[in-house]
Amino acid sequence: MTEKTTQHRSPEAAGTSYIEIRDLHFARGPRKIFDGLNMSIPRGRITGIMGPSGTGKTTLLRIIGGQVKPDAGEVLVDGQDVCRMSRDELFEMRRGIGMLFQSSALFTDLSVYENVAFPLRVHTDLPEDSIRDLVLMKLNAVGLRGARDLQPSQLSGGMSRRVALARAIALDPNLVMYDEPFTGQDPIAMGVLVSLIKNLNAALQTTAVVVSHDIHETSSIADKLYVISDGRVIGEGTPAALREDDSARVQQFMHGYPDGPVPFHYPADEFVYDVLGESVA
Amino acid sequence: MIQLLRIVGARFLERLGGLGRASVLWGTAMFGLPRRDDLRLLVRQMYNVGVLSLAIIVLSAFSIGAVIALQFYTQLARFGAEDAVGLGLALVLLRELGPVVTGLLFAGRAGSAITAEIGLMKSTEQLSSMEMMGVDPLHRIVAPRLWAGIICMPLLTAIFNVVAIYGGMVVAVEWLGSDRGGFWSGMQDVVELWDDVGKGMLKAVAFAIVVTWIAVFQGYDAEPTAEGIGLATTRTVVTGSVVVLAMDFFLTLGMYGDFG
Repeated sequence: MTEKTTQHRSPEAAGTSYIEIRDLHFARGPRKIFDGLNMSIPRGRITGIMGPSGTGKTTLLRIIGGQVKPDAGEVLVDGQDVCRMSRDELFEMRRGIGMLFQSSALFTDLSVYENVAFPLRVHTDLPEDSIRDLVLMKLNAVGLRGARDLQPSQLSGGMSRRVALARAIALDPNLVMYDEPFTGQDPIAMGVLVSLIKNLNAALQTTAVVVSHDIHETSSIADKLYVISDGRVIGEGTPAALREDDSARVQQFMHGYPDGPVPFHYPADEFVYDVLGESVA
Repeated sequence: MIQLLRIVGARFLERLGGLGRASVLWGTAMFGLPRRDDLRLLVRQMYNVGVLSLAIIVLSAFSIGAVIALQFYTQLARFGAEDAVGLGLALVLLRELGPVVTGLLFAGRAGSAITAEIGLMKSTEQLSSMEMMGVDPLHRIVAPRLWAGIICMPLLTAIFNVVAIYGGMVVAVEWLGSDRGGFWSGMQDVVELWDDVGKGMLKAVAFAIVVTWIAVFQGYDAEPTAEGIGLATTRTVVTGSVVVLAMDFFLTLGMYGDFG
């Protein structure tokens, strides 16, 4: 383990901020995705970022990883501004980040074993038997040591995501970002993923960011939650505190009310005009 | 009128932006520092774009060589100049048809495969995940394909020429009974190493660079949807073919000079 990693996971460092997002602005064409977003993600803890679909949660992860440049604002990861990094510096920083993609994003031409070995082969000079031990350890941690010779096409959705998780933690990253880890999973796979994320965080003391709209699962593992809507943070705190939050928007999201400040209907003319046309007017 | 200008301007800027992105991609991928795994990745891609294209190249070459010999023979036999079939065949193939037809076949067979593969990797977030692992897909995915194309296409052109001349010889000499010695000696007398073989191969290298560049860029820049990948693959074949034909005209003009 490097000096930096050891320092990152020391008890003194726990709880200080690992990611700081200040006054983030980002737009896609005329549509504003983030409009002055501020966030502080604590080191060594699990932070959930929730919000309705289309609020830019995945985009936020891409901004933190430096894949998308914001229009304005600062994104500090471990004290360094991602927006000012050169291409090479970005690739260097990403070696300390693991990311679980919504689609798993396994390399389809490589076996399960080779997928997990990929970051080790590219970034380390370890001999083959050490790589083998590490890959088997990571696969064992996600319960798929026996599936090492399968191809990604032979895996179920839940298994793919677990293999992707093993690959994301192959280099023992300081930060693991989970993009909608529970979407499309059956209850058993969901339970497995919830406990894996929790156990990995407890064992490795990594900083975890879970982007999701599955309130129950995310609340059960997160130390801190953010709810974002309309490009801003509309609620933050522990899961228990957010459930009791006074804001109508937070209440609607946390309790899943179909109508409220986030309207059920996409903006449109009155229904009666649409159906009966000009004659009503 | 203003609206029309606006549309034309927007299209122009879009194309210019595309050209800029394509240039950055090419420069970054081509001139990155070599890494540990590069040779293994290159060999694998050379197999994919080169060896797997062999069947179509050999088959087309034999058939094209045979047809050209047949046409030449029927015309030249009227003047009793059957011996000239060999030299005509060689010149046409080495200077023009070898590089051009290989370029067209390469765009259709290997170019489309490269675009579809990279486009699908993009749509399944494999490129993104690679970036997030600190691995640059321009070095890992794009560069080996670019280099493999640039190395393999001239080799395929050489194979095309050899097989096509053999096909022509089978028709003219073995089948139609033209004189074997005349066939080969006519070719030997006229064909120049640099002027015919060298310049033809230079064309092949130029086509290889452009066709492979178009293929990787279309894949990398594709809209990550089923429709987007379909469109990108089509664009690779269409643009690649048109560019090969247009470039061939200008290269011929430049190389073989003074037509005035």
